[in-house]
Amino acid sequence: MHESALARFRSEIRHFYVVTVANIVFAALVMAFGISVLVGEAVSMYETFSTALYVIYSPVVLFIALVAVLTGLRWILASIGVFEGIETIKDDLDGMGGEVPDEALTRLIVSMLAHYRDNRATVRTMILVCTLGGVCSFLLGILGSLEHLSVSTDGISFTINNYLVLPFMLLTLGVALVSLASSYYFSRFAKVWDERLGEIEGSEALLKETLELDRR
Amino acid sequence: MSGRRTAFEIYWEILVFCRTPQSFTAIINRCDLNSKTGQEYLRFLVEKEYLVEVVEGDKTRYVATEKAGEYTALFSSLYRKLFDAPPRFKL
Repeated sequence: MHESALARFRSEIRHFYVVTVANIVFAALVMAFGISVLVGEAVSMYETFSTALYVIYSPVVLFIALVAVLTGLRWILASIGVFEGIETIKDDLDGMGGEVPDEALTRLIVSMLAHYRDNRATVRTMILVCTLGGVCSFLLGILGSLEHLSVSTDGISFTINNYLVLPFMLLTLGVALVSLASSYYFSRFAKVWDERLGEIEGSEALLKETLELDRR
Repeated sequence: MSGRRTAFEIYWEILVFCRTPQSFTAIINRCDLNSKTGQEYLRFLVEKEYLVEVVEGDKTRYVATEKAGEYTALFSSLYRKLFDAPPRFKL
């Protein structure tokens, strides 16, 4: 029983660690992407301030870029809090090698449960932020690849800069995919760990009985 | 170990740590407790005879009794049981 419990625990910790690291990398990417668009737009606005066409276009890009920067920053801060705890647990587990005594495994499980209790709300926020980050970067990619956009009563017309489409699309597709995958894994992990917390709460009656708390 | 733990998790940690005689300071440092809550936990475990106080000169140390083994074994089996089944999603 111990071997399979250890293998499952180890596997879950490693996967959760990878998802958290991927989150930090892509959060930084979304933030950098947002900042680069913000700077580019600010320069363009300054240079073409009198162009009526640009005034219609820029606020959308600026707004999305700003949302991307803030989302990226929030995303990094949330990920780092979760990352630190999971890294400590993973390091402790890796440090023990293949042979992990029962007691050490129980201690690591307790640590993981305590870490999850501490970061339950953060993980829920990360599920939402991952999705928002993906959407923002995707929209920035589309808007960034536009050379011209005009909105009038007759309709919307736009021109796409072919040289910009491919890199933007590849980058945004990558970020969007990782964001969605992270969001999926975080939600699955959150569900599983919520169930485990529920199981432990259910087992507390037995521990209470053993400790003779009811007879106090 | 820190983070939000239940009282049962703290009891387990104290009892496992006190398999060898430990001072009050060592216990609260190891279990990340403040002295007030540390005293409450220790008093409870001593009252229930899961811990005994051993006086060595002017120092008092705490040692887990045989009775504590029943609790720590049950606790470990319940927590490891959480990983008996794999998560219902592909890793």
